[in-house]
Amino acid sequence: MEVLQKISEELQKGNFKEVPKLVQEALYTGIAPSKILSDGLVAGMDVVGERFRMDEIFLPEVLISAKAMQAGMEVLRPRLVETGAKLAGKIVLGTVKGDIHDIGKNLVKMLLEGAGYQVIDAGIDVPIEKFVDAVKINRPNILGLSALLTTTMPMMKEVIESLIEAGVRNNVKVMVGGAPITEKFAKDIGADGYAPDAASAVVKVRELIG
Amino acid sequence: MKPFAGGQYRPLTDQGVRKIHDSALTLLSEIGVEVHSRLAFETFQKLKAVCDPSRKLVKISRSMVEDAIDKAPKKVVLCGREEKHDLYCEGKNVYLGTGGTVLNVIDLETGQKRPSLLKDVRDIAKLCDALENVHFMVLPVYPNDLPPQEVDINRFHSSILNCSKHLMGGIYTLKGTLDIIKMAEIIAGSPKALRERPFVSFITCVVSPLKIDDLYGDILYHIAKAGVPVAIPAEPLTGATAPVTIAGLLTGVHAETLSGVVLTQLVNPGTPVLYACTATSTDLKTMGYVSGSVEMGLINAGAAAMSQFVNLPNYTTAGMSDSKLVDTQNGYEKAMTNILVALSGSNFIHDAAGLVEFASTASYKQYVIDDEIIGMVMRAVRGIEVTDETIALDAYRRIGPGGNFLADPHTVQWMRKEHFIPKLSDRELRMNWEKSGRPGAEERAIAIAKRILRNHKPMGLPKELNDQLRSMFPEIKP
Repeated sequence: MEVLQKISEELQKGNFKEVPKLVQEALYTGIAPSKILSDGLVAGMDVVGERFRMDEIFLPEVLISAKAMQAGMEVLRPRLVETGAKLAGKIVLGTVKGDIHDIGKNLVKMLLEGAGYQVIDAGIDVPIEKFVDAVKINRPNILGLSALLTTTMPMMKEVIESLIEAGVRNNVKVMVGGAPITEKFAKDIGADGYAPDAASAVVKVRELIG
Repeated sequence: MKPFAGGQYRPLTDQGVRKIHDSALTLLSEIGVEVHSRLAFETFQKLKAVCDPSRKLVKISRSMVEDAIDKAPKKVVLCGREEKHDLYCEGKNVYLGTGGTVLNVIDLETGQKRPSLLKDVRDIAKLCDALENVHFMVLPVYPNDLPPQEVDINRFHSSILNCSKHLMGGIYTLKGTLDIIKMAEIIAGSPKALRERPFVSFITCVVSPLKIDDLYGDILYHIAKAGVPVAIPAEPLTGATAPVTIAGLLTGVHAETLSGVVLTQLVNPGTPVLYACTATSTDLKTMGYVSGSVEMGLINAGAAAMSQFVNLPNYTTAGMSDSKLVDTQNGYEKAMTNILVALSGSNFIHDAAGLVEFASTASYKQYVIDDEIIGMVMRAVRGIEVTDETIALDAYRRIGPGGNFLADPHTVQWMRKEHFIPKLSDRELRMNWEKSGRPGAEERAIAIAKRILRNHKPMGLPKELNDQLRSMFPEIKP
């Protein structure tokens, strides 16, 4: 399975041009899509994550690998669906109404995609109804809300209340994040999870949906 | 080590530099220097300086000074035992390292001050070998547990065993000096090999104002004869052994260190010599020596400018503190003087790591802290590189308005080269910092120092070579 090893290595280098080609090649040679995912892409990303935790590499290096992961997943995902393999999960992300900050949200998105999740980005300055609709239509495992301003933080609570009113609160786990958010705030507004930074957001997502 | 040039900070105008230079030459030719060393005095006499034996006075003419400046090398390469540690002392290249010699250490385990011992010579050498921003080691501490006649050889031997960077040291006896040269020749492979790649060098001082001491004059004479690199620092103090004004003091520094340069070039033309300054200010409220004043930075930056004018490589001083603690004063004094002198383009800035309390005490944790300061200072010296690649128009094209550069290859390619990566500084979120026990810089530095001493393996010496040295110099301690 030399090609899987190669996928892992190129992914670690962040070679987002080469990884999809290698995934394609692996598919041609008849390797099971689930095996390409676990022994190629995920194996590579695990090494990257470990090196990041050991302070050997920096966030941009993780992101560039995540980009390679995502490029590989684009080729692989349709085949995974065809073969009925279990997908990692679906996440809707957005920055709440009144707040146009997106770099933190985008960071979380990149890392989640890097971890193999499917992410639907609702964008910035997202009205409450749009979040509720996104949950109804896409049926995500997790709804992630981002806010960078203390003035827009209360909007998170309103989103959760609207999910309850619409009767979909129990279909989805809600995670919140952003510079002014704290664990306590997350609890107080009835969110299911909080992460202080993008890397721990991935860990938290795993914890919430397995 | 790729040299980086300073020179962005100019503490003196061209006119000011010329005026100080002329005044210093007037000092040397009119007032003269008291020369207590017989060997040195006779050298001046033989070469027709105006000498008055009854007062031990030597008047050095302008032409003698100019002649010596001509003969002295414009570039001195102070080598490490590994080439990656070589220091190209010339022009405005900047290197920073440790200083000494002090009599006390702050113990790493107890945090208490105590007399320094031979084991501290060893452990500090090991620490400096591992700290990547410390460019060289000036032997920092005095082994109080040895009899005086065994100090020189043991200090150098233990340092050589534990640190492969360039080693410069003060010496205490003539015999010790000659033994060290002999030992270094054996390690280098031959006397010639040592001259080609001198990995040890010496410091002898001129006494301010305007005096060449008996013992240090003799030692300087012998080092020059041996052709081993030597720094000849003048250490006048404002208002005490020099005028209280900085220009007045610099005139003294210039005259005094040049008198030493003249002597070395009379003894052995071409001797590698560093124009040197360890001057600082005096606290005239107490008559105390002050090491962390802003004037200290000005003085040593000024001395670098004076040496650049006569085109001699230099040795200066910075990065000390008068504080007894790792505290705010410690941080601002060290950072302030280090950056002033480094940005002036000084070649060999010593005392920049490890010292506290008026340069009287070495402190293990302080080496780690100062390594971080020096790293930041060197980043400032490097300045801002402007090329097509660093402007990164292509990255802008890829990202476009409203995007971010986090996951762009340009970021990954440049982030480590462009930014100083701290090892000590705390940049954690409060939450994570609290989780790890709210450590301050001091605690973190102690942990790093302990880790280095536990794990670092210095290059050392081959066993047979070391056995040979021990049999030649039986006073070397195990």
